[in-house]
Amino acid sequence: MTTDTTSPDFKSVIVPPPEGSLVLEIRKLNFFYGQHQALFGVDLPVKKNAITALIGPSGCGKSTLLRTINRIYDLYPGQRAEGEILFEGENLIGPKVDVAALRARIGMVFQKPTPFPMSIYDNVAFGVRLHSSKSKAELDELVESSLRKAALWDEVKDKLHKSGLGLSGGQQQRLCVARGIAVNPEILLLDEPASALDPISTAKLEDTLEELKSDYTIVIVTHNLQQAARLSNYTGFMFLGKMVEFGPTEELFVKPKVDKTGDYIGGRFG
Amino acid sequence: MDRALRRKLANYVFIGLCVIGTAIALGALALILWSLFSQGIGGMNPKIFTMDTPAAGSEGGLRNAIVGSILMCGVGMIIAVVVGILAGTWLAEIGGDTTYGHIVRFLNDVLLSAPSILIGLFVYELLVFKSNPLSLGHFSGWAGAISLAILATPIVTRTTEDILNLQPNALREAGMALGASQFTTIRSIIWKAAGSGLLTGGLLGFARISGETAPLLFTALGNQFYNGNLSQPMASLPVTMFNFALTPYEDLNKLAWAGALLVAVAVLGVNILGRWLAREKNAGH
Amino acid sequence: MSAETKSPRFDPTDPIFRWVSFGAATLLLVVLGGLIASLVYGGWPALSTFGLEFFLKFKDCPAGHGGHFCIDTPWNPVTDVYSATAPIVGTIVSSFLALLFALPIAIGVAVFLTQFCPRALAQPLSTAVELLAGIPSIVYGMWGLFVFAPWFAKTIQMPLMVAASQDPTSWGAKLVAGIPNGANLFTASIILAIMVLPYMASVFRELFRSIPAQVREAAFGVGATPFEVTTSVIIPYVKQGMIGVIMLGLGRALGETMAVTFIIGNSHRFPKSLFDSSSTIASTIANEFAEATSDLHTSALVALGLILFLITFTVLAIARWLLSTQRY
Repeated sequence: MTTDTTSPDFKSVIVPPPEGSLVLEIRKLNFFYGQHQALFGVDLPVKKNAITALIGPSGCGKSTLLRTINRIYDLYPGQRAEGEILFEGENLIGPKVDVAALRARIGMVFQKPTPFPMSIYDNVAFGVRLHSSKSKAELDELVESSLRKAALWDEVKDKLHKSGLGLSGGQQQRLCVARGIAVNPEILLLDEPASALDPISTAKLEDTLEELKSDYTIVIVTHNLQQAARLSNYTGFMFLGKMVEFGPTEELFVKPKVDKTGDYIGGRFG
Repeated sequence: MDRALRRKLANYVFIGLCVIGTAIALGALALILWSLFSQGIGGMNPKIFTMDTPAAGSEGGLRNAIVGSILMCGVGMIIAVVVGILAGTWLAEIGGDTTYGHIVRFLNDVLLSAPSILIGLFVYELLVFKSNPLSLGHFSGWAGAISLAILATPIVTRTTEDILNLQPNALREAGMALGASQFTTIRSIIWKAAGSGLLTGGLLGFARISGETAPLLFTALGNQFYNGNLSQPMASLPVTMFNFALTPYEDLNKLAWAGALLVAVAVLGVNILGRWLAREKNAGH
Repeated sequence: MSAETKSPRFDPTDPIFRWVSFGAATLLLVVLGGLIASLVYGGWPALSTFGLEFFLKFKDCPAGHGGHFCIDTPWNPVTDVYSATAPIVGTIVSSFLALLFALPIAIGVAVFLTQFCPRALAQPLSTAVELLAGIPSIVYGMWGLFVFAPWFAKTIQMPLMVAASQDPTSWGAKLVAGIPNGANLFTASIILAIMVLPYMASVFRELFRSIPAQVREAAFGVGATPFEVTTSVIIPYVKQGMIGVIMLGLGRALGETMAVTFIIGNSHRFPKSLFDSSSTIASTIANEFAEATSDLHTSALVALGLILFLITFTVLAIARWLLSTQRY
């Protein structure tokens, strides 16, 4: 099934995942930084237990789109969104949503590693302690399994109670992934998680994401096309605040339906 | 109680406490400003500027104190600006990276936060106390001015160094590349580029000393009469305020409030001017 | 730094300029050295006359006193006997009380301004707080003397003392005993607190703002409330810097003269209660120095100054060290 959305500049082509497999759906989303509009009627279907990648040149709105999903933009007065983000039948854009509870279900990992000023163990346990009361043994187990899933356990198991700030950049980023999955979110948002990392750390992080795919729904913003092609099941290409094309990754990379997508993937601009 | 509810409640209590704290702080400060303005304006009249400080029960103003303050602050500032800009320039452009430079920088910080009354003690021992060969042997405007200079110099030094360090190295290299000497480069390029920043530093120093009381208490002492001679004891607004506030006479208390308003307005004005200059400079870039 | 850059052409003004500016930097050193030397020199007669008793002097306990030792706190220009214990205790107690009052409020103001305040209000309020930090301390002192002390005596101290008179032996009664004129250790500490508050609040605000946005976002991103983000992430993130600022605030409170002198009551005894009159080092010097009766009296005051310098220097050195180790 193909939906065509008419837009003044170019055609938006959306090839959604099969009916019933969606966990979250964004419809006609507009976003504003004060007076400046950054997103124009963006649609994005997100398939459950799959990796969805968002690509596009700098400033195209891909990070902005990601930041609407867990309402992190709420921290900044003057930023607002219009439209629909449907998550389990509820529109996330609206004053009634409990954003703290929402963010426990939709986790986020940022561009630069953001360890909190506390021990490795406490970093991972931070979110868990907020949302539930677990015994010491349960917590130990959860911290270990989260660190294992983030492929960090072997490197830190002997220094769990040392500061998280003492790890290398790549380790810090995987610590943030472990912190994100420890609260067992339904969706994990990643905003260019490898952009500050060296190639080896990047490879390790990609392995981690590959592993996580079976249990979590992941949405990743990346400027690295190879990364999107390697990792993701679905890809959305954005340009100038619009969703130009969305579809299964292989189709989008091999035979894009919009010329603009082909131009970008072929390296003719961006 | 449900965990989510408890967390939400804790958060509301926290927000409430922050709001209450801010209200207490701003409330207290607003009360102070209100007393200052209502009491100060009550004592304000043209005689403040035309008559000298009175004895209790007679009419008078603050002319001698205002003139004394301006004279001592002015002389103090001239000394502080000359010494402070030179010392700050030395730290930023010449010797700041040497061990000696680090020592000077640290001791400048010590001087910056030394209690002001101790500076008064020092200048008393240096310039007022009789058995000292350097000393004038009595209280004087000079001693007051030098106390204020010692207070302001570390501030000017600190801001000068900070501002000069903000100037891009390319400016220095460009000057040198044209064949200018280091002094010419600093004088006609670096100081000029840093101009309004240096002025802001000077103004902040001026704002700091113009309300200082403690170091003047036993250096300039005070003077009931009009006096433009710095080698004599000299009245100043803050010391006059201190003395008049502690008398039981209502008219003198009123003059103290009027003086407080004058000093506060001057300090606020100079601070706002300094900020405005700094903002203009940033906007210009 | 262009320290090593040699000018391409010799200019005779260069060495002169270097020496003159070097001289200015050295002058700062000389002034501080002179300050210390003059305090030591001026305070020496008192220090050598009284020795350790200048800091701590014991006396025979009065009959019926249960304690093992009693401290004497003489400050007597008539008999020319001086001891620094009472002013030192007054200085330290009033400064600590002031910080105790000011600290939670300053943190509350900084958190409010950085997190909850509507944006249109945040900038003007922050500027106002910074401007208030520049108001001369004598203005705070005068407000304390004319407005706060009378109000406090009438509305707080008197009723409390009346209530306490029901049971004069209770600890509550001991805590509020004193002359009900509002000039005491407690009110002086409050005025000191109001004076250091704008300074601490505005520096805390700057510290909080220095935290990278992504760290804040990450903390909110796991579903923490503003309260949890502040206590678990923001404050630990700048903990060292905050302690540094607290020490700088303490340094200011310790050396403050004018805000305290008006309102502390100026008595050279140990304060026996929270509402008892007391004195600080700075207030003692301000009150007595110009009218000191004997050389030993003057010397004792200078020796007090030396002690104050050593206390504030220690506090400042710790603050600098903590601030320099703060990682942003």
